[in-house]
Amino acid sequence: MKRGMDVDDFAPRLSFFFNSHIDFFEEIAKYRAARRIYARHMREKYGARDPRSWQLRFHTQTAGCSATAQQPENNIVRVAYEALAAVLGGTQSLHTNSMDEVLALPTEKSVEIALRTQQVLAYETNVTSVVDPLGGSYYVEALTAEMERQAESYFAQIAEYGGVIEAIEAGFFQREIAEASYRYQRSIERKDRVVVGVNAFTGEEEAAEIELLRITEETERAQAQAVQDVRRRRDSARAGASLERLQAACRDPNDNLMPHLIDCVNAYCTEGEIVEAMAAVYGRYTETAVV
Amino acid sequence: MNERPLRIVIAKAGLDGHDRGAKVIARALRDAGMEVIYTGLFQTPEQIVQTVIQEDADGIGLSILSGAHMTLFPLVVEQLKAQDAGDIVFFGGGTIPPEDAQRLRDLGVRAIFTPGAPLGEIVDFVQTECGKRRALVG
Repeated sequence: MKRGMDVDDFAPRLSFFFNSHIDFFEEIAKYRAARRIYARHMREKYGARDPRSWQLRFHTQTAGCSATAQQPENNIVRVAYEALAAVLGGTQSLHTNSMDEVLALPTEKSVEIALRTQQVLAYETNVTSVVDPLGGSYYVEALTAEMERQAESYFAQIAEYGGVIEAIEAGFFQREIAEASYRYQRSIERKDRVVVGVNAFTGEEEAAEIELLRITEETERAQAQAVQDVRRRRDSARAGASLERLQAACRDPNDNLMPHLIDCVNAYCTEGEIVEAMAAVYGRYTETAVV
Repeated sequence: MNERPLRIVIAKAGLDGHDRGAKVIARALRDAGMEVIYTGLFQTPEQIVQTVIQEDADGIGLSILSGAHMTLFPLVVEQLKAQDAGDIVFFGGGTIPPEDAQRLRDLGVRAIFTPGAPLGEIVDFVQTECGKRRALVG
C-alpha cells in the first residue's frame, strides 16, 4: 500500500498458515476469532471494499508438539481430531502430520495414513458441505469472543513495541512461545494435563515398535551427485547471467525480484546459488537468541 | 556446594529451525540453578565449539531434528578434541533413532535424549556428569 497499490488489488490473494492443537473447541474458536478480526481490520483499518479482501484464507497443519514418542500410533487419532477442528473452523487446506514424525522423517506408509485421514474427512464425513457449522453454539460463540478479546490485547502489546518487526527484534514473540512451550511441558510432567501414553495409560513396553525411515549417507551422496549433474548439463553462461540480473535487482529497491527468481530457476540455478546471490546483497539474518 | 553454578551451552546446528525442545531444555537447566547459554539457530560446529570455549562451559547439549545428526554430532566431537576440550560433557537430543544414538555414544557423545525423555532425567544427567567433571578439573 505504501507503493500506491489499492488494498483490493492484492488482498484477495493473501493467505495465512495456522497450526491446529489438541484442545478441540479452543482451536475452532481460534480460527473463527481470526476470521472475525481479519475481516474487521481489513474493512476498518485498511479500507478494503471487495468482500474477497475480508475473507481470511488459511492453511492448517496439525501440531507437532502434541505428537508423542510413546505409543506413536495414537498420533494418528490426535491428527484426525486436530484436522477436524481446522475444518470446522473454516480452513481451506490441511497438512496432516504423520504419526512417526516425532521419531524420524516419516515413512511412506505413515505419510499415506496421514493423507487418508484427510480424505476420510473430506469425502466421507460430509463436514465440508457446510460453512461455519458451529456458528450459534453458545459455547463456541463465547469461546470465540474470548479468544478475540485476548488476541486484540496481544495486538495492542505488539503495537506498543512499534509493530511486528520491532517486537521480533525485541524477542517478544520468541519469549512468548518459549514460555508457553515450557509451561506446556511442565504441565505434562506435573500431570496437570493428561497425555495418553505419556503420563497416563502407559503400557508395559514403552519403546516405539514401528518401522522408521532410515536416511543413509548414500541418500546424501546421491542428492549431491544429482545437483552436480544438473550443473554440468546446464548452459552455465545463461545461469551466470541470470544470477547477475537477480543480484542487480536486489540492489534496486524498486525492482520486483520474482521474475528474476523465476528466470534463475528456468536457467537451472540451484537454490544455494540463488540464496548466495541474494545474501551477498542483503546479508543473513541472525536471530536474537531468546530463551 | 557454594561454588559457581555449572555453565551449559545449548546449541542448534545446521539448517534446522526446530528449537522448541532446545529452549525447553535450556529453561529446565536454568530452573535447576545452572547458567545456560543458548546459541540460537543455524550454527556451524566450529561456532558452537567456539562458544563452548569462550563461555568456559562445563557441558554442551546439541539439538538436531533435521536428520543430519550423523554428520553434525561427529563434527562437534572432532572440533572439541581439536580444541583440547574433549572432556567437556557433550550430550544431545532430537529425532535420533536408537541405532544412531548408539553409534553417537560410541563416538563419545555421553548421552542422547530422544522425544519423550522427562526433563528431570536430563537435568539429573547434566548435574551429575558436569559435577563429576568439575570435581576432576576444578
